[in-house]
Amino acid sequence: MIAFPISAAPRPVPARRPRPGAHPLGLVWTLVRTDFKVRYHGTVAGFLWALLKPFTMFVVLLGVFSFVFASDRHYKINLIVALFLWDFFAEATKVGLTSLHAKGYLLTKARFPSWILVVTSVSNAVITLGVFSVVIVAFLGLAGRPPSLAGLGFFILYLGQYLLMVVGFSLATSVLFLRYRDLNQVWEVVSQAGFFVAPIIYPLGILPERLHFYLYVWPPTPVIQFSRMVLVDGVLPSTRAHLFLAGVTAVTLAAGILIFRRHAPRAAEYL
Amino acid sequence: MAIVSLRGIGKSFRIPSVRRDTVREHVFGLLHPRRFEELRVLDGVDLDVRAGETLGIMGRNGSGKSTLLKIVSGIYQPDRGEVRVAAAVTPILELGVGWNPELNAIDNIYLIGSVMGLALSEIRSAIDEILSFADLERFANLELRHYSSGMAARLAYSVAFKAVREILVLDEIFAVGDAGFRARCHQRYRELSAAGHTVILVSHEPYTIASFCHRAVLLEGGRIAMDDRAERVAEAYLRLLGGAAPAVPAPA
Repeated sequence: MIAFPISAAPRPVPARRPRPGAHPLGLVWTLVRTDFKVRYHGTVAGFLWALLKPFTMFVVLLGVFSFVFASDRHYKINLIVALFLWDFFAEATKVGLTSLHAKGYLLTKARFPSWILVVTSVSNAVITLGVFSVVIVAFLGLAGRPPSLAGLGFFILYLGQYLLMVVGFSLATSVLFLRYRDLNQVWEVVSQAGFFVAPIIYPLGILPERLHFYLYVWPPTPVIQFSRMVLVDGVLPSTRAHLFLAGVTAVTLAAGILIFRRHAPRAAEYL
Repeated sequence: MAIVSLRGIGKSFRIPSVRRDTVREHVFGLLHPRRFEELRVLDGVDLDVRAGETLGIMGRNGSGKSTLLKIVSGIYQPDRGEVRVAAAVTPILELGVGWNPELNAIDNIYLIGSVMGLALSEIRSAIDEILSFADLERFANLELRHYSSGMAARLAYSVAFKAVREILVLDEIFAVGDAGFRARCHQRYRELSAAGHTVILVSHEPYTIASFCHRAVLLEGGRIAMDDRAERVAEAYLRLLGGAAPAVPAPA
């Protein structure tokens, strides 16, 4: 042990270091970058490899259901749009739910805004969504059905609302998962059922109209349907429909923020 | 003037008779209500730490030392009382835990450094220094899962010492690494203390407290049982353990 003399009169040090979270952009960039590295081994090939799952799913579903819905001439493109939107939802909610637990080791290092961990956890799913969106629009253009500028604008608006819904969901479930460690298994079951609740592999029109409202309460449904309308059909949903989507988004996000604010301050105690 | 001020701090943990961590256990347990026992870890702690002071905290296992540090660091919230911390805190707690094992040392330095408040440019310019301090330059590109616990702890110290802000909170430091690494830690600690950083240090080692602290408190049963010069508190701690109290050297 090396002892050293201690000054009898302590001298305060002037503030010279930033507080944790003082460089939020740097923190966000680091979290996104490290997530990308871990998931895709930091390579484009790794990223392309991860795209194989939804692509394989598309090929299999197309192979089976294009015969069932052979009379629907837009079935293929509608299936692609719905599948990539669903894949984003399933992937982002799955990762968001476990985000605080997975990065819990950072919560005990310093005090910083823990919501950043949750929000950045969906970054990889957002990157995939962005790539798929560009591919879909390019595909529509090559097929001679390019979406209008207004249609593209509304599509981006839907994607933004979709993202806010996923963030709201992730904020709520990430703190609840610290208390209920099988919440991810429960969500997996719900998610599997939700794949069939949303009109992904079937046209919504084959179901009785009285059931449509219940299907629209499931957040992916309005996003999928509205995106199909503006991208494939070239039709704009009604103002009422837009208000409904905005309402679902606002409620999901507000509930997520409230639940997170209530439980997050004690998150470290449950790790 | 106090840079850290705690008034009437209380913290309890509810210990259930049966632990239920899953939705399934909660649903199946609806007909079997649990009893909860309250484990009071801190019970009315009043404490002031002056700017530039080094304060030692001693106490037996379960006396509330680590909980108190986490409350000062903002990681735990108290159930009662008021916490006022007038400057930024760097906690160095639970070393060796807190790395992403899939990432190499450099990526982990970026990750932890960002969380501790360093700008990316600061981290970039400090990478060599951090690795050198931890004596891990050769293993910079090795994933952390291949590190020993000692290597990981050295890296944690090194990053934390680089990111130190006004208040440094340390839990059981100086127990990591070989003699050379400990000497570098002591040297760094000496520089920080001399520069006027406020330090709150928990240790079971009386010699460490007496050597490194101006003042110390003894926690017992969640309360401050003694608040005095560091060497006196160290001796009281030894008496509390039931052993003879060897002379603890007073700081020069």
